[in-house]
Formats: sequence, C-alpha cells, structure tokens
Amino acid sequence: MEVCGTHTVSAFRSGVRSVLPEGYRLISGPGCPVCVTSQGQIDGAVALADVPDAIVLTYGDMLRVPGSNGSLADARARGRDVRVVTSAMEAPDIALASPGRQVVFLAAGFETTAPATAAMLSEAAGRGLRNLSILCLHKRTPPAVRALLEDAALGIDALILPGHVCVILGHAPFLFISEQYERPCVIAGFSAESMLLGVLDLTIQRARGETALHSVYPDAVKSEGNRKATELMDRAFVPCDSVWRGLGKISSSGMRLAPSLKDFDAELRFGVSPGEPPEPRGCRCGDVLRGRITPPECPLFRTTCTPAAPVGPCMVSSEGTCGAYFRFYKGGTVAWEIS
Amino acid sequence: MGDFLTLGHGSGGRLTNDLVRRITSVFPAPETPSAFEDCAYLPDGYAMTLDGFTVSPRVFPGGDIGKLSICGSVNDLAVRGVRPEWIAMGLILEEGIAEEEVIGYMRSAALVCKELGITLTCGDTKVVPHGAADGVFITTCATGRRETARNLGMHALRPGDHLILSRSYGRHGATIAAQRFDLDVPGLASDCAPLWEPARALLDIGGLRCMRDCTRGGTGTVLCEWAEGAGVGIEIREDDLPRDPDVLSVCDILGFDPLYLACEGCMIVAVSAEDADTVLSRLAQFAPCSGAADIGVVTEGHPGLVGMRTHIGGHRVVDMPVGEILPRIC
Amino acid sequence: MCLAIPHTIESIVGERLCVARAGSARTEVRTDLIENARVGDVVLVHAGFAIERLEERESEELLRLFDEIRAKSSGIPQ
Repeated sequence: MEVCGTHTVSAFRSGVRSVLPEGYRLISGPGCPVCVTSQGQIDGAVALADVPDAIVLTYGDMLRVPGSNGSLADARARGRDVRVVTSAMEAPDIALASPGRQVVFLAAGFETTAPATAAMLSEAAGRGLRNLSILCLHKRTPPAVRALLEDAALGIDALILPGHVCVILGHAPFLFISEQYERPCVIAGFSAESMLLGVLDLTIQRARGETALHSVYPDAVKSEGNRKATELMDRAFVPCDSVWRGLGKISSSGMRLAPSLKDFDAELRFGVSPGEPPEPRGCRCGDVLRGRITPPECPLFRTTCTPAAPVGPCMVSSEGTCGAYFRFYKGGTVAWEIS
Repeated sequence: MGDFLTLGHGSGGRLTNDLVRRITSVFPAPETPSAFEDCAYLPDGYAMTLDGFTVSPRVFPGGDIGKLSICGSVNDLAVRGVRPEWIAMGLILEEGIAEEEVIGYMRSAALVCKELGITLTCGDTKVVPHGAADGVFITTCATGRRETARNLGMHALRPGDHLILSRSYGRHGATIAAQRFDLDVPGLASDCAPLWEPARALLDIGGLRCMRDCTRGGTGTVLCEWAEGAGVGIEIREDDLPRDPDVLSVCDILGFDPLYLACEGCMIVAVSAEDADTVLSRLAQFAPCSGAADIGVVTEGHPGLVGMRTHIGGHRVVDMPVGEILPRIC
Repeated sequence: MCLAIPHTIESIVGERLCVARAGSARTEVRTDLIENARVGDVVLVHAGFAIERLEERESEELLRLFDEIRAKSSGIPQ
C-alpha cells in the first residue's frame, strides 16, 4: 500500500504504476487529507462561510470537497467570501488588512502541514490578532496506518510511507509497522525514481523475509525528523479522536488546539460543532480508502460519481484514489502497447 | 450539487464542454454543423468566430486584455485557414475605471489589427455599475474569408498522422498564475500572439489535416477534444513536449499540470507523417513558433483516449481537466 | 499528501522569512520551521514554509539497492 495520496497521483502521472510487473498490487491508502475530512467537518467549514463578515481561507485542495449541502466552492458561488491561499501565513496578513471581518483559516493536512499552522498561530498570537481563528482539521497519520494494519482482511504485505510526513516525524512513529506488525516498509520521495527504489527495497526485503523500516529518501528525512517543527506542532495541538471519512472514528488520530490557543478556535468562537451526517447512499469511499476495493469496483464510479459531480471525496481531490483512477486510468487498463 | 454555475464551468475542459453542448442543443441545428471547431464556416467562403475576454490582471507580461481580445479571435480563424479581415468589438466597462486605461487597451488591440490588416467594423460600449463587471470585459467577433478550399477539421484525423505543437505550452496560464500567487519569474511572459501568418504558411501542405488553437484548458484539453470528437486514439511522448522551464517552475510550486494551463499563441497541427518535417521547417520561420516540436501521433488503438508515454517509459492517460485549475498543497 | 519542492535560499529577509528560488521562480518562504537558514541552503518547501534542509546523506539501504541494481544490470547493454 502506498499510504500517501501524493504518491498515488505521482505513481499514475509518472507512469510508475504502468511499469510495475505482474505480481504487484499497489493499493492506494487513505493518505489524502482532503478525502478523509468528514462530511461533518466540511459542513462546519461551509457554516463558517455563512457567518456574516467571515472570510474563509482554504488551501485549493479543499475547495470542491462535497459536504451534505455542497462544497466551499458552492458557497463561494452563492456569494460567500471564500478564498484560496497557498500558505497559512496569508491568514494573519488578510486579518490585519480586514479589521472589520472575521478571518477563518481551514487548517487541513497531516503532520507535514500542521507545523505551518502552528507557526502561523504563534505569529498571530504575538501580533494580538483578535479577528483570526482556525477550524482545526489536522490529522495524525500513524494511528490511521495502525488501524489499517489491524484489518486482517486487507492483506497488506508492505507499505510505502509518506515521505514528507516523515520529514517532520522521522522514523520512530512508524517503527511499529515493522516491530509489531512485522511488515517491511520504506520511506520514499515522490519522484518516479524514488518510488521505484522504494518498491525495489520492499521486494528485496520480502524476498529475504526482512521486515525493517528503510528509507530511500535520506536527503530529506532525518531519522529523528524535524525536531523544531514537531515541538511547535506539539505545543499548538493535542491529539484527539477523529472521524476519518470512510474509516470511521480512529482514536488519537486528529489534532485539536491546545488549551492555550483556544481563543483561536473557530468552533468555540462561532458555536459551530460539526455533526456527522450519514454518508451518501451507495458511496464506497470508505472501502476505497481502506484499499478493500479499487475505484472501478464501486458501482458509482464513472456513472453517478465523476470529477464534475463527485459523490464522495475520493473523486474530488486530484490525489483521491478515485480521482486519480478516473484521470489516469481508462478503458480498463493502465498500460497499453504504444506504437 | 446545485444547478448553478461555478467558475469551473468557465475553465475549459469537461464542465465547459458540457455547458456548451447544452446551450447549443437549444438552438435549431445549423445546416452544416461545425462540430465545435474553433470557428464556423459560412456560405460563400466566409467564416466567423466569437470570443469573450475577462482576464485578470488586465495587464500582464507579454500583453494586455486589448491585445488578447484580437489575438484570441484571430487565432480561432487562423487555425481553419481563414484570413482575419473584420472585427466587431463589444466593451462592457465597470463604472470607476479610468478612460485612459481603456484607451490603452484599445491601442494594444489596434496594433495587432494594423499588423494583420484587420478593420474594426462595428462595436458597442456599455458602462455598468460598480461591481457588475470586473473592470473591463471585451467580446470580439472576427470574420474573414477562407484561403483554403479544404475543410480543415478534426474529422480529417487519421491513424499515423503526426501532431506538432507550435511552441512551448502553458505560458499564458503560468504567467497569470504567477501574478495571482506572487511568484516572481523574471523570464516568464504570456505567449499571446497572432498565429495567422504561421498558419497561412501551412495551408498548401498536402498532408495538413487540421489545426487547433490551444486556449483555456490548455494543450491537454485540445488533444482530448480531438480524440473524443473524431473518435481516434492519440499518443504523445512526454520527452518530446516542448517544455518551458519557467512554466515548469510555476507548476512545481503550485501543483499544476502544465498540460492544462491556458495558452494564447500556441497551436497544435495535425499532419500526415510524410509532411511532418515540412510543417516543422515552415513554422521555424516565425518567431511565435520557435521551439515547435513533433509531440505524438494519432493511432488506431484506444479510440477516444489520449495516452502519454512518460519519461520513465511508462504510460498514463491524459484526461480533460474538470473545473478550475487550483493550486494544491497535497 | 504533501507537495514539497526544493528551493534555494537567495536572501534572508527577516528572522523568519527568506526569498528562495525553485527553478526560475522566486518566492517568499517562511523559515520558522528550520534552524539557521542561510543563503545557499537548499530547502524543501511545503505550503510556503521550508520544512527541512536538503543535504546529501547516505543510507545503507540505498547503497544496497544500487549494488543490487548494478549487479543485475551488468549484463545489460547500455
């Protein structure tokens, strides 16, 4: 399984998927923060967009994820002030420039992205900004990987670990994969070469009965990770239980603001508390995220559920498994003979 | 999902195509359906096209909305072998905009018209209240006479035909994105340029099948429209794509695929295998087409699909983008 | 889940801010998450923040992999 959605897209786009020989089955995992953000959380984000004078800031990835009443893009089309940003640091700047408005930043992403939010909050606190808050949607990767490995029916032989999450966390939080679950795993970067080296490493490990955690991305990933970033993150956030779309509630798999930063909590400030509406009928994103089925095996795939009209989040994100399959995999086959 | 339109419907690609089909299906079918080509052939050798321009920022490295408004329509005519002769222009101006600014855009437009011998025949100007339009919206309708008797269009595509891209792609989209997202890319400028002269130079080549102006939705969208519209397979080679390093830098940072970024002075030419080299050597004479490259072929396999042989020797499908092209962090 | 691109730091603008270049594109990058950012450092940038300094480091497993590749491809004509 490749855990990370960016690996899924990279594997398709570079053609890595198409060159893997017979005998390899690459299962795409739930490492797409967009995909696993629950409907309730999207509804919460949309509700914040409806707050009078609110400016909602979001990374581009989240804009089109459907909630139970539309997406943030739909809210924008209705006239709400929803803006795409490429860095959390745009939030304090916009808050300063718009003193009469309430700026809400959607803090989505895994451990690669959470430290940036933490740094931003530190600056916002330092500047005494009162019109800025965040909806904390950050999630923690190792608990989700553990939950997948607990699912015996999945039959995962080996894992390709998310390279950039490991830049922050280092090796230690993932050692349980080899030590407790006795599967080989490899930290890989996102180039075709790095992914292929990762697959080669896993192949050799498996052939020799090894179950170690290896890294083919040492230039970026130190075994101890980025201590400064982790410390910032651990000061700003505390673990909490979190619902992963399609996977259900996984304990300690989310992050919420530390008590010292509760003034920046948009849920508290605006009294928005996401419920959990039922999944859309027929949607099998959960099974896709677990790697139990491939997208073509979902009856909605390409029929009712398309990138233009996504039913579930796996189809929205360019790195959601269904979105990747739809874009890169057609006619029943990834590979064909090129004349 | 609602029934209301979103920005995605205007981004080129699948949503736009679906909307256009719905709109055109309401009207009585024309006698000679143009099958969604860049311009419509009319009786007696005339042809006509229409294009709207809403670009923001209105001024960008390489041009402005005025220059764009002429080049866009000119290129739609040019790729079907039509000399641009007359232009009609509609202006919708937002209250509060400076008159000098508008005249400046008109000067840019007039410069292109003079270069190509185009006459501005008629126009209309409206001023709308503040907030009802984003500064300046321009619509141009270009007409002219065909300089070829051949019916250039995607129906002429045949397996074995070569596909030639006239220059590096995605420059316009990358330039606008760089401005929008505060990236400083000194060498990057829009490819906005009229393509009539290079297109005309190809008209007498026997093996010429069709040409297409890549605009919003980029090169990838045109290839998909050809594959789906003509029911043929297309295969391109990643290593042969003429890539601009400035465009790639912008795409790397923002997470874009350059195949889907808008162009405004780039065309794809489909030609028989024997005449491919002739197309390349003719295009090389024109500055906007420096860097033209043979990027792939039309094939019998997988009709309706566009495939790409990747750098590492694997394959991927090239599909139409859906909705706005948005920057990603994931 | 993470798009991060190598950038070269061109100038330090403030305690937590620098200007860095990826290819030919120059942009402002935050340095809150790394120590001692210096001109010339190559850093991995994600969502506007440098998240790590890239340094040539070896790993045993990479060395082993390249040995394997060399061994297997020695018979293959280049």
